Amino acid sequence: MLQLTYLEAIRQGIWEEMERDSTVFCLGEDIGIYGGAFKVTDGFIHRFGPERVIDTPIAESAIVGAAFGASLTGLRPVAEFQFMDFIACAMNQISNMVAKTHYLWGAPAPLVLRGPSGGGVHGGPFHSQNPEMWFVHNPGLKVVCPASAYDAKGLIKASIRDNNPVVFFEHKYLYRRIKEEIPADDYVVPLGKARVAREGRDLSIITYAAMVHTALEAAEILAKDGIEVEVVDLRTLVPLDREAIANTVRKTNKVILLHEDSKTGGFAGELAAVINEEAFDDLDGPIVRITALDSAVPFSPPQEHYFLPKVEDVVREARRLKAY
Amino acid sequence: MWDAPTSMAKKKRKPGTTVRAHENRRNGHGKAQLVPVSDSYQRTFIIPDHRLEKPTFTMRQAQGDDGVSYGLIGDVKAPVPPIRESKYLSKQQCLEIYRYMLLNRRMEQTLENLYKQGKVVGGVYFGLGQEACSCASAYALDKDDWFAPMIRNQGALLVRGFRARDTMMQYMAKADSPTKGRDGTSHFGDIYERNMVSPISMLGDLIPVMAGVALGARLQGREVACLTYIGDGGQSTGVTYEGLNFAAVKDLGLVLIVESNHWAYSTPSEMQYRVKDLAERAIGYGIPGVIVDGTDACQVYDATREAVERAHQGKGPTLIEAKMMRMKGHAIHDAADYVPKPMFDYWRRRDPITRFGQYLINDKKWLSVAESQELMAGVDREIEAEREIAVNSPMPEPESAVGGVYCEDGCHEVKPKYGAPKVKGGKRRFKETEAAVHLK
Repeated sequence: MLQLTYLEAIRQGIWEEMERDSTVFCLGEDIGIYGGAFKVTDGFIHRFGPERVIDTPIAESAIVGAAFGASLTGLRPVAEFQFMDFIACAMNQISNMVAKTHYLWGAPAPLVLRGPSGGGVHGGPFHSQNPEMWFVHNPGLKVVCPASAYDAKGLIKASIRDNNPVVFFEHKYLYRRIKEEIPADDYVVPLGKARVAREGRDLSIITYAAMVHTALEAAEILAKDGIEVEVVDLRTLVPLDREAIANTVRKTNKVILLHEDSKTGGFAGELAAVINEEAFDDLDGPIVRITALDSAVPFSPPQEHYFLPKVEDVVREARRLKAY
Repeated sequence: MWDAPTSMAKKKRKPGTTVRAHENRRNGHGKAQLVPVSDSYQRTFIIPDHRLEKPTFTMRQAQGDDGVSYGLIGDVKAPVPPIRESKYLSKQQCLEIYRYMLLNRRMEQTLENLYKQGKVVGGVYFGLGQEACSCASAYALDKDDWFAPMIRNQGALLVRGFRARDTMMQYMAKADSPTKGRDGTSHFGDIYERNMVSPISMLGDLIPVMAGVALGARLQGREVACLTYIGDGGQSTGVTYEGLNFAAVKDLGLVLIVESNHWAYSTPSEMQYRVKDLAERAIGYGIPGVIVDGTDACQVYDATREAVERAHQGKGPTLIEAKMMRMKGHAIHDAADYVPKPMFDYWRRRDPITRFGQYLINDKKWLSVAESQELMAGVDREIEAEREIAVNSPMPEPESAVGGVYCEDGCHEVKPKYGAPKVKGGKRRFKETEAAVHLK
């Protein structure tokens, strides 16, 4: 088994899919000879050739549009956004061309739109965003946010094989900071299934992406006080694993919803509504949200640190909820 | 005259000359004259204009006592030019195009009647005056080429194998419409048989998509022509630029027809862009541009056919500007009162069907008056039969709104249309990079 970083696991996953299926190709800015701004496609052009690893002009609408057009001929494009912040430049194509196409006129759009998202790297407001809700709110898209290297590889492979458009958020904080043993075989992690990252009985933290690690760190601290926290990593936001959410709430009866995205309109609001629908009678306390502030991501490190949810926030809220 | 469309830069350079735009010279009377000095570096671009007339009138927004309106300045009395002989079309092909144009017109008249009978959901969009552009351009495609219509290209749909009932059912929101009621107008497609991509309401978005279709086909070893359209208004969007530039950079076989019909809803082209002719935009993209008379089926066909063949040879996109006029409002609710009446008169005399009919009957003698009437009667019968089927088809069940948001459970098989791309890579095997090294 190999020890791979989160980034390398994604790289390996895309490489394996391109080896296995010649209809898979990549397009994006600087992904060719340069190998991508984060080196996710490093070496790809030398193995797969420039026809399948395409450097594009700086034109996100054209990247998405061309990927969609190619998918109509039966190929499986993987389009990279240098930073997911820039996916905003392609919103019309994604929302009105790609997301609606199968529902309206029956044409599948098997594309993957992937790129680095998230903060904590002093990237400032345009290199640190978590724009997943724009896509969660868009029927027809699938939204994937892996938190572990193992899941990142398995989910990128599943996303490429999926016949639907998948928006794949790779948390850049995790790119080189986590490293795991990854099986060398061709494994896939199914979309739409959460995983229990840590078992517990006192309260649940439902979360995704980099905050999974924040939750796990907080859980270690809380365990010393005898508070056993269950951490559920959603892995996929759309389609959502409602059953896993219901199960954990039924088990612990208290829940914290944690995400790095801002509070208003963030996924925690959707989760709270789902919990209300699935397991209201099992709640023994109010649903707690821990999120970033409602603002752009500030640049200066002390500001960004204040802006993001912290381990101390989780510990504090967990203690309070436990005592409710 | 009939060169292949080009926009070629010609560089003139005289060695040893420095760059000076002008120099002052005094003649014998002491008056200074500015005399242009040839630059050491100068580029000339050619945009062929195949029209047999070049209208010189223009419009101005004027504020008078009773408010603001558009006024026409210039000559609107010029005689109608003849149809320009096609380089390629046979008699049979001309007659087929003519028939499609008649079907196009008759179908839209039927839609208007259906609207007035209260059978249409929402509005109706017309391509009146644009039938030659829609039909002749679509006719120039090979079967394996792709196309994506805009809202006024109803005639193109007929040429590519859709039936009039398809469009009628779309407008009437019927259960058997190509989208099963889920969208209206020309918003439908068929990626399996007729190679058509559905438009959306936003303008310009089809352009990168059609570039992508060409890209996908090329990866599978095929060079296909991908025809789509954009209006003089629609081409203002950013996505138009991004898509066309992408196609140009990658030499993709995009054939873009700019339907210069002078009006974007109520906005005249004088208020939409600053260039004299939209074909000039081709210079900015580095691709050939050409101007044709959009009411002349032969000109439209020839320019499109040449662009299609360029596409098949992998030579990249072509921008064709078809000049014509939108002869109704933006949609049926729009009386187009803002259009100066002389403009309607000018372009009514240039009705594409009238012009082409006269060409076939009087100039080429390929159609007798009796045959022409028989042709029209046959078109009427066909459209009427289609209308009957469309009107009598059911509305969708309410529950049919549910389902199909995702492609699940094998509802479609995604496979390459032209065959799996040949893997042409290097020998490099997967190797961990420095990114694999865990930061300590």
